[in-house]
Amino acid sequence: MNAKEIIKLNNEKRKQLTEENEYYYSDMLVYIRTCANKSEQQTEEVLLELLEHLLKAQEQGKTAKDVFGKDLRAYCDEVIEEIPGERTLKNVTFGIYLVVNLISIVMLSVGIISYAMHTLFDLGPNGIIFPLGTGLVIILISLASLSIWVIAIFKWIKHSTFKAKKPKKWTEFFRLWLMCVVFIGIIVATFILMPEFGMRITISFTTFIILGILLYITSILLNKKFRITK
Amino acid sequence: MSQRSQLLKGILEGCILSIIKQGPTYGYELSMKLQEFGLSDVSEGSIYPILLRLQKEKLIIGEMKKSPTGPKRKYYQLSLAGDDALDEFTHHWNAIKAPVDRIIERSNDK
Repeated sequence: MNAKEIIKLNNEKRKQLTEENEYYYSDMLVYIRTCANKSEQQTEEVLLELLEHLLKAQEQGKTAKDVFGKDLRAYCDEVIEEIPGERTLKNVTFGIYLVVNLISIVMLSVGIISYAMHTLFDLGPNGIIFPLGTGLVIILISLASLSIWVIAIFKWIKHSTFKAKKPKKWTEFFRLWLMCVVFIGIIVATFILMPEFGMRITISFTTFIILGILLYITSILLNKKFRITK
Repeated sequence: MSQRSQLLKGILEGCILSIIKQGPTYGYELSMKLQEFGLSDVSEGSIYPILLRLQKEKLIIGEMKKSPTGPKRKYYQLSLAGDDALDEFTHHWNAIKAPVDRIIERSNDK
C-alpha cells in the first residue's frame, strides 16, 4: 500500500469520527502532515493508525484527548520527532516537477496566444522576442517568490492548528487573498519594472511551442515515474 | 520531562517488544494488551511514538496487511535484532527488579 492509497483510506474512515473527535483529529492530521522532510509513507501509516485507534476508542465514549493526552500539540511533536526523515529526495523531485510543469504551461500559453495575435490580428512580431538577461532574471525571481509563497502557506496552515477558537471564515479568506495578491503583484511588478538587458533572442512560434510541449511531456513523465500527484 | 515518563520510556519499550514477540499485533490491540496487564496509567497514544522509534531502530517490522475482519492494518513483528534487544532488556530488568523492590520496601519500613 503506498502513501496515496493510505490517504484515500484515511479520507474514507475519517467520516466515521464524531464531530468533536473530527475537530481534534483534523488538527493533528494537518499539523503532522505539514512537517516537511519526513517520509510520506511513514507519516501516512502512523496517521492511519492514530485514526483507527481513535475510532475504536470513540466506541467507548472516549475523545482524542483521552487517548492522546491533554496537550495534543505536544503529542504530535513527539510523533513527528520519531518519524524517519527521508523525504529530501522526494521534495527535490517535487520541486523540479513543479518548475518544469509551470514553465511549460507559461511557454505554451505565451506561444499560442502570441501566435494567434500575430496571425489573426496582425499584432506583435513574428516570433517570440525577448532579451536573454531579463528573461532569466524574471524566471529566477518568479521561482523564488513562488517557493517563498509555498513556504508561507505551509507555515500559515500549521500555525492555524490547535486553536481554542477557530478564526472566522472571512478573515481566513482575506489573509489568503492578501497572500495571493502580494505574490501576483511581485511577479507582475518584475515584468514591468525589469530593465532590458542581455542579448535579444528571437525564437519562431513553432520552436517555442514545441519546446513547451516537450517540457510539458517531461513533467508528465516525471509525475508518472515518481508518483508525485497520483 | 517528568520522572514518571523518564522511567516509563525504557520499560514500555521492553514491554512492547515482549508483547509483539508473542505474535504479530497492531497498534490498538497492543495498547489494549498493555492495559489488560495493568499498565492503565500509560496513556493509550503513547505507544505510537515508541512504535515509530522501534521501527527506526529496526527492532520491529511494520507491514500493512489485510486483517481477518477485512480492512488493511499495520501489523508489527519482531526482527532478529528485536529479539536480541528483548533478551537484553529482560536480562537488565531481572537484574534491577529485585534490588529496587528491596530498597524501596526497606525505606518504606522505616
